[in-house]
Amino acid sequence: MTGPPSYVFWKASDLKHIIFALAIGAAFTPSLVRADIVDEILDDQVLPAMQALAESSEDLAQIAQTICRPGASPLRDAYHQAFDAWVRVSHLRFGPTETNNRAFALAFWPDSRGKTPKTLAKHLRSADPALLTPEGIAQSSIAGRGFYALEFMYFDQNFTSAKPHEYRCALTAAMAQDIAVNTAAIHRDWQDSYADQMRSASGRYQDETEVKQELYKSLNTGLQLLADMRLGRPLGSFDKPRPKRAEAWRSGRSQHHIVLALQSLQPLAIALADGDQDLIARLETAFQKPILRALRLDDPRLAGVADPANRFRLEALQQEVNDLRALIESDLGPSLGVLAGFNSLDGD
Amino acid sequence: MTSRRGFLAGLLASSLAPTPSWADLGRPAFLTAAKDPDGSYLLAGLSEAGAIQFTCPLPGRGHAAAAHPTRPEAVAFARRPGRFADVIDCRNGTPLARLEPPQGHHFYGHGLFTPDGSRLFTTENDYENGRGRIGIWEVARGYRRIGSFDSGGVGPHDMLLRQSQSGPQLAIANGGIETHPDSGRAKLNLPQMRPNLSLLSLDGQVQEVMELAPELHLNSIRHLAISSQGILGFAMQWQGDPGADLPLLGLYEPGTPPDLLAEGDPRLRNMRGYGGSVAFSPDDLTIGVTSPRGGVVQVMETRSGHIIKEHALRDVCGLATARSGFIASTGLGAIAALTGHTAKQLRHHDLAWDNHLVPLT
Repeated sequence: MTGPPSYVFWKASDLKHIIFALAIGAAFTPSLVRADIVDEILDDQVLPAMQALAESSEDLAQIAQTICRPGASPLRDAYHQAFDAWVRVSHLRFGPTETNNRAFALAFWPDSRGKTPKTLAKHLRSADPALLTPEGIAQSSIAGRGFYALEFMYFDQNFTSAKPHEYRCALTAAMAQDIAVNTAAIHRDWQDSYADQMRSASGRYQDETEVKQELYKSLNTGLQLLADMRLGRPLGSFDKPRPKRAEAWRSGRSQHHIVLALQSLQPLAIALADGDQDLIARLETAFQKPILRALRLDDPRLAGVADPANRFRLEALQQEVNDLRALIESDLGPSLGVLAGFNSLDGD
Repeated sequence: MTSRRGFLAGLLASSLAPTPSWADLGRPAFLTAAKDPDGSYLLAGLSEAGAIQFTCPLPGRGHAAAAHPTRPEAVAFARRPGRFADVIDCRNGTPLARLEPPQGHHFYGHGLFTPDGSRLFTTENDYENGRGRIGIWEVARGYRRIGSFDSGGVGPHDMLLRQSQSGPQLAIANGGIETHPDSGRAKLNLPQMRPNLSLLSLDGQVQEVMELAPELHLNSIRHLAISSQGILGFAMQWQGDPGADLPLLGLYEPGTPPDLLAEGDPRLRNMRGYGGSVAFSPDDLTIGVTSPRGGVVQVMETRSGHIIKEHALRDVCGLATARSGFIASTGLGAIAALTGHTAKQLRHHDLAWDNHLVPLT
């Protein structure tokens, strides 16, 4: 089904939350309880990464206004920079990224039903000028927005030279602008209110434990995305590997995303270990193994999943990521008051 | 303070109706199984406000329970492949009977009583034949098994009673997945699985079968809720590749095509392919579905199918209709009230609440 999504409706309901969140932000002066782990993660990781995302997206939007040719290196460089910045925060799926479905509008992946190319083809056919305005594109299907949609426009032959030429140029510029608007909103929310709500932990989060658990959950989200989606989807099964399901293979970014994800999850895990040197050492080792393996793959699109001689290296990588998950669940979780889920691991 | 009228009413009730009733236990609103931190398992009755009104021990991990409509008796099912279910006197935990399905069957963890309390129905797996069965038990004769009939599909899981024009009927979620105790919980038939929602008369005549489109054949229909108008809500569990963008909640009004909710909304991904429990709000305007894997309860508008709220609740699974909206339970011990746009913790118990909150009606 590809009916028009009702964003206006969602926005109306989300707006209440924004107002509510703002009201909370104004009502509480952060009590400045020193939450060392939380401050460290916010100040050294989350806030700089969100700033980098907003700034590199703004750069991309600027360049996309003036350069249309998809192969132009300034445009591609800007795209890669901004997409990198997104992948580095793609595990931080709570709060500002979830308002108005911002994260989904930046990253509609996996796209198991091929909605992204369908939506883009429809846009090009209709050549609707309304889509070229920020409001118009913000209300269009998320499958046609964000980094993964832009990848089609820049790297897929069906789209890189699609006609009408002028409309395609204007649409890609509008898509880049939409990314910039979205990432700026995420950064602004983090900076203006959300980070403070995590530090003071007296409104949205009841106490510091809840804040740490949210961060721990995002660590798990990132590792799960890595093992099950970024690796698991292209791996498929031995008899039926699915190389075309690799993330961002058109732009040759699949392997790179694995490295980026591990490199941004590692400092989060280390910080959550809260100075436990023994645990930190084990985490370092458990991260280094897959990071080194991912760096050495020499398989940017993960095409090796379909080649028995190379496939085992990707399977080994997936195993190392799963080992890492097991270590984090058994040794890091309990210290943060997080036990393995009674219901979430069971299922019936 | 006891009023004179209340005192007299109590006196009357006790003299005229000496039989035990749920009132003896303060009329619990919900039944649910749990794990104690010491490793033991129990069945608990909860008030509407989430307070524990009774507990009684269980021999192993439970799944769902069925409550007798009048007597303070509950049938606690072992989790699948369950070889037994215990009938418990909830006043003191005394086991009243142990139900064992016939050779070649095991329980799936759900069951229900007829409104008059005379019979119990249980969802079962006839695993040698790979067919779903519904077992029939006669309550008055010490829960004696008096027969069984085909469930209308494979892997019957949740089951509800529905009033139709032709009388009461069973709504059965045939999850479609074939399992065999010899291979534990391994799923044996994913390529061929065909879940359905079947409506059967109380004597086992198939009245309606609802199946989803073939491309959704890996979406196992598992748990049910019913609105005051008799519309069924069904929650699904996706057995295909992770990351697929699929509906996990639907509405079915017999005689009309099913209505899949929130289709195309990316937030369905937050459910991680798994709908745990489902319930309608008391006004039927919204329906909620839990996902322990996603740590989220999604509330959708029944009329439009739109997601109107996501409540983040770690390890949430149990969900039931409550006077002011929904009540939810988590594996971390929380009982929460979900009202409109807010989630409020009502209670926290040092227990891990298991899969379902079963309403006592």
